[in-house]
Amino acid sequence: MLPRVRAMIRLLTLQASYTYERLQGIGIAAAQEPLLEPLGKDSPRAREARVRSAEYFNAHPFLAGIAVGALSRAELDGEDGNRILRLRTALSGPLGALGDQMFWAGIVPALMGIALVASALGRGLEVIVGTVIGYNIWRILITGWGLRFGLAHGMKVAGELAHSRLRQLAVGVGALGAFVIGAAIPWVGLWLLGGSGRSMVAMVLLVSGGFGVGLATIRRPLPVPVITLGAGLAVLLWYWSRS
Amino acid sequence: MSELPITALILWATIAGLDLASVLQGLLNRPLVAGGIAGGLIGDPVAGLAIGGSLELFALDVLPVGSARYPDYGAATVAAVAYGAGQPWPSALGLSVLVGLALGLVGGWTAVVHRRANARALRRLSPALERGDAGVPLRLHLIGLAGDLVRSGGLALLGLGMVLGLLQLPRIGPAAGQALTVVTVAGGLVAMIGGALRRAGTVRRMAWLGAGLAAGALSLGLR
Repeated sequence: MLPRVRAMIRLLTLQASYTYERLQGIGIAAAQEPLLEPLGKDSPRAREARVRSAEYFNAHPFLAGIAVGALSRAELDGEDGNRILRLRTALSGPLGALGDQMFWAGIVPALMGIALVASALGRGLEVIVGTVIGYNIWRILITGWGLRFGLAHGMKVAGELAHSRLRQLAVGVGALGAFVIGAAIPWVGLWLLGGSGRSMVAMVLLVSGGFGVGLATIRRPLPVPVITLGAGLAVLLWYWSRS
Repeated sequence: MSELPITALILWATIAGLDLASVLQGLLNRPLVAGGIAGGLIGDPVAGLAIGGSLELFALDVLPVGSARYPDYGAATVAAVAYGAGQPWPSALGLSVLVGLALGLVGGWTAVVHRRANARALRRLSPALERGDAGVPLRLHLIGLAGDLVRSGGLALLGLGMVLGLLQLPRIGPAAGQALTVVTVAGGLVAMIGGALRRAGTVRRMAWLGAGLAAGALSLGLR
């Protein structure tokens, strides 16, 4: 199998070897290994490159291919080891922030908001299947693009990244995610509360309360799942004690 | 319960668990997706979507960045749907969601255990890694992958086993069921809105969130 294809497959499982010490470091090293094969198996250069490739690293997993490509290109070009490590450190934060903004705060909430509204309208399953297929095709394409982008630009990747349209795209999808989630809130509330007139009043009260609590705890988030579990168990105990 | 496609559910819950962080991260772990597909497998997609949709509200509060610790709702949602399917969902929804929340928290803890197991493997192979021996990163990576397969499969078995046990207990009455549904939907909306406000961060995005809310309310009114 072609080294790039093997690197690509390993990138799709990047976080399987995640640790709290090196975060994605081992995953990055596993993805870089096929790309470093031209350096040989036992040469000092190959060994040094493999040691560097397993150092601490953390970025958004979908954009980590950019780092894998760029770092591998730099190793193959014989760049100084310290410069390569500096590039590694320099890429970690921006690729994390950019990807988090684009995917976790933008695309994923937007897609889930659309799927929630579709479910409320009775078309959930079709929309979900279509969304998952489309999202995964795009996820694979962007990982492959990142790998090619990194391999093409090597040590110059940070500068090239600054000129790419990814940043503008991230801002745009962030706004889209916020809008879609906002639009989904009333639909979801009414759907899950049953859709009666009484549900409308309950939904308005719950959404207003939700915004109140959300704004009051914006800096110190509450453990909502734990609180909900506790409240649910209290309700169960109350009913059992009465029956 | 014997009518439930147990093997298919265990397989699907395991796949959903792997998708949390180790493999692809292609939305399969999202409760709405995991629940919708589980409902389809059981033959009750409406309950699957409602239970998955409710748990999705909690998942929308999670930002899986860096080394953050968060619940794993994949296998948890499959188990919750297996419990709630075939019942009138306005009264079964609440208890099913509580099952999902509890298992999701257990799942989050197992993800931490998995990462610590990865660290132990890393320490064991550290001398070879520091020498730059070929194949060591891949070996560690495969150990991690196998570990997450065990974790996800174990969660799937635990979740569906728990559901088998719960199904032997007498069902709660409709009044208690509906009260639980209100409690869990309220919790879900608080989580969803809190998550949206935190993700928005800037005034500009909060304005987009407000505009979306107004558009949603308007479209609901015009329906």
